[in-house]
Amino acid sequence: MKKMTCLLAVLTLLAGLALPGCSRGEENIKTIVTVVPAPEQTRAERPPCFPDPADDYIPLPETENLAEGKPAETGAHTDVYVGKNINDGKTDTYWESKGFPAEVTFDLQGTYTVSTVAVCLNPSSIWEPRIQEIAVAVSTDGENFTEAAPAEKYQFDSATGNRIRIDFAPAEAAYVRVIFTMNSSSRTGGAQAAEIGIYE
Amino acid sequence: MKKGTLILTALMLLTVLILPGRGTAEAAPTQLVIYEGPKTMTSSETAEVSVNGYELFVYDVMVNHKHIWDANVQPTSTPMTYFDFEGKARIEIRMPGLTEKVESAAVQPYSLGIEPEVKDGTVSFLISDPGQYTVVFNGNVNKALHIFANPLETDVPDPEDPDVFWIGPGEWVMDAIALQDHQTLYLSGGAVLHSIISVANADGVRICGRGMIDGSDYPAWNQAGSYARVPIDLNHSKNVRVEGISIVNSNCWNVNSYSSKNVTIDNVKVISGRQNGDGFTFQSCTDHLVTNCFARTWDDSLVIKNYSGSTKGITFRDMQVWTDLAQSMEIGYETDKGLTLDPEISDVLFENVTVLYNFHKPVISIHNSDDAWVHDITYRNITVENAFMQGDNGFNKELIEMTLQNSSWSTVRDEFGKTSDVLIDGLTVINTETGKIPASRMSGVSEDNMISNVTLRNVNILGQKMTTLKEMKLSTDDYCEGITVE
Repeated sequence: MKKMTCLLAVLTLLAGLALPGCSRGEENIKTIVTVVPAPEQTRAERPPCFPDPADDYIPLPETENLAEGKPAETGAHTDVYVGKNINDGKTDTYWESKGFPAEVTFDLQGTYTVSTVAVCLNPSSIWEPRIQEIAVAVSTDGENFTEAAPAEKYQFDSATGNRIRIDFAPAEAAYVRVIFTMNSSSRTGGAQAAEIGIYE
Repeated sequence: MKKGTLILTALMLLTVLILPGRGTAEAAPTQLVIYEGPKTMTSSETAEVSVNGYELFVYDVMVNHKHIWDANVQPTSTPMTYFDFEGKARIEIRMPGLTEKVESAAVQPYSLGIEPEVKDGTVSFLISDPGQYTVVFNGNVNKALHIFANPLETDVPDPEDPDVFWIGPGEWVMDAIALQDHQTLYLSGGAVLHSIISVANADGVRICGRGMIDGSDYPAWNQAGSYARVPIDLNHSKNVRVEGISIVNSNCWNVNSYSSKNVTIDNVKVISGRQNGDGFTFQSCTDHLVTNCFARTWDDSLVIKNYSGSTKGITFRDMQVWTDLAQSMEIGYETDKGLTLDPEISDVLFENVTVLYNFHKPVISIHNSDDAWVHDITYRNITVENAFMQGDNGFNKELIEMTLQNSSWSTVRDEFGKTSDVLIDGLTVINTETGKIPASRMSGVSEDNMISNVTLRNVNILGQKMTTLKEMKLSTDDYCEGITVE
């Protein structure tokens, strides 16, 4: 009798294990359950199927942007796209020159050893790809400029953040001039930049 | 050996007897799919819900119990949960978040005939069909529990398909998702997505799954510095399907379709509690089918307007609606906001719609507030379980309202349209707040701008079959003709 009781208990237990969904209500319901687990997370994340486009952005130096907020001369601009937009720290505002060549001259308010200039447009994909030709010159007195990077054509593409980076041999500079000579966009006859950054 | 076999046979028989459901060969087991909530969130402290003994993750979602417009009122919350199944599901509910012990409960729609058992504060009942179930405790709609018992998923997209964006369980955030031609977004059960989905000028897009789009990370759209983040926004698109997901906590309206055509929306559940939280709202669209869906909203639940041309061929079928603010089934007010030539709204069908609660303005309304011709509109088998229209300071308390009028939403103010050929066939009102038959109203503008040929058939209010306009308390003016009750 003990053996039988034991067998019954085991069998019932096995049945119970096989049917974990039996309810406590009057009616037991045989249930095959699928539990869809949640991943380990400590905060809401970006869905992996939408990779962050910023991962493919052209990296900028992590050092201080010497141009941000400093005095800048930009010459004539188009419509409302005024010169102060060029170093206001925001890529959703931009400067657009009135024709070519277009120059932007920054007063760094001090002498630094600079080696990188970055030119950024709005990273949104509604800014279609374009090419701009850009050169960089530097000066310690604001009068006499020497070439730091010769004119070259740079590709702006939202896939890489709509930004380009001009690296050159380190040079002493209190003033930096960025010279635009061409823009392939059919939407404008001038140079465009949402931000220009200058880095040591 | 024989003895052993005998014992085993006896035990197996005993086991069958112990476990009902195994006793008949044809009793297939219930297939149940439940979803863990994101690890970043905690299950509701208001409600505890299990299905066949398995605990569900319960979400607290925004709703609003203020039944009059308020630009700044903050929503409260109510519990919601979901699972998928086929077979039988015994649902057990405990409500630790209620200050009073649960002594009674009602499951809606009432037509399901479910009489829950309430024992020691636990509510239980059995269901065998997928659907949307709402449980009201102690006769008070506060903290009513919404249970979305989905059918098992079918036609799940292939995650390896390059045109499929697959979002799994968990909490996710990104600013916006723009879908293009023939792309699919799959939102898995257990997923909470803080984002908006835009389908603009696209063909063949599909949005599906069991997950939720949650707009709680943004303040209401009308607040300073905020803006409307529409969870599902279709714009000049075609051949779009939206299936299975839930939309909660939107900071504005919810499922929006503008100048789109051939759209199917199936088993989509909307709960909203913030300003202008319309449920399913279509402007100048053609050939839309909304079916098996649920909308609890703090503005119109089902809405049709003209914003840039005419509307034609819109069907809402097998719907459940709970309208905390404004109208349940609204055509208008804007009927020609696009200032187009000869605008129309036509071939619209509301069929098998259960209005669980309608707290504010009319249940059925055609507010032709511009110069469109609104015609061939059918309401068939509409059940209003609780018609509690409190109106706006004594106005807009009607059950049915059809008007031609200028309003604050009018774009065309110097001309009016007309409304004709409207059929209400099967309208049942179970409860009203006062226990009396609510009034209805129809009003035209001139002999050229009339409401005509409106048939009200099989209308039953508070158990009484309506046979005359007077019985229905339906008022008309000189610019209505052919208004009949059958």
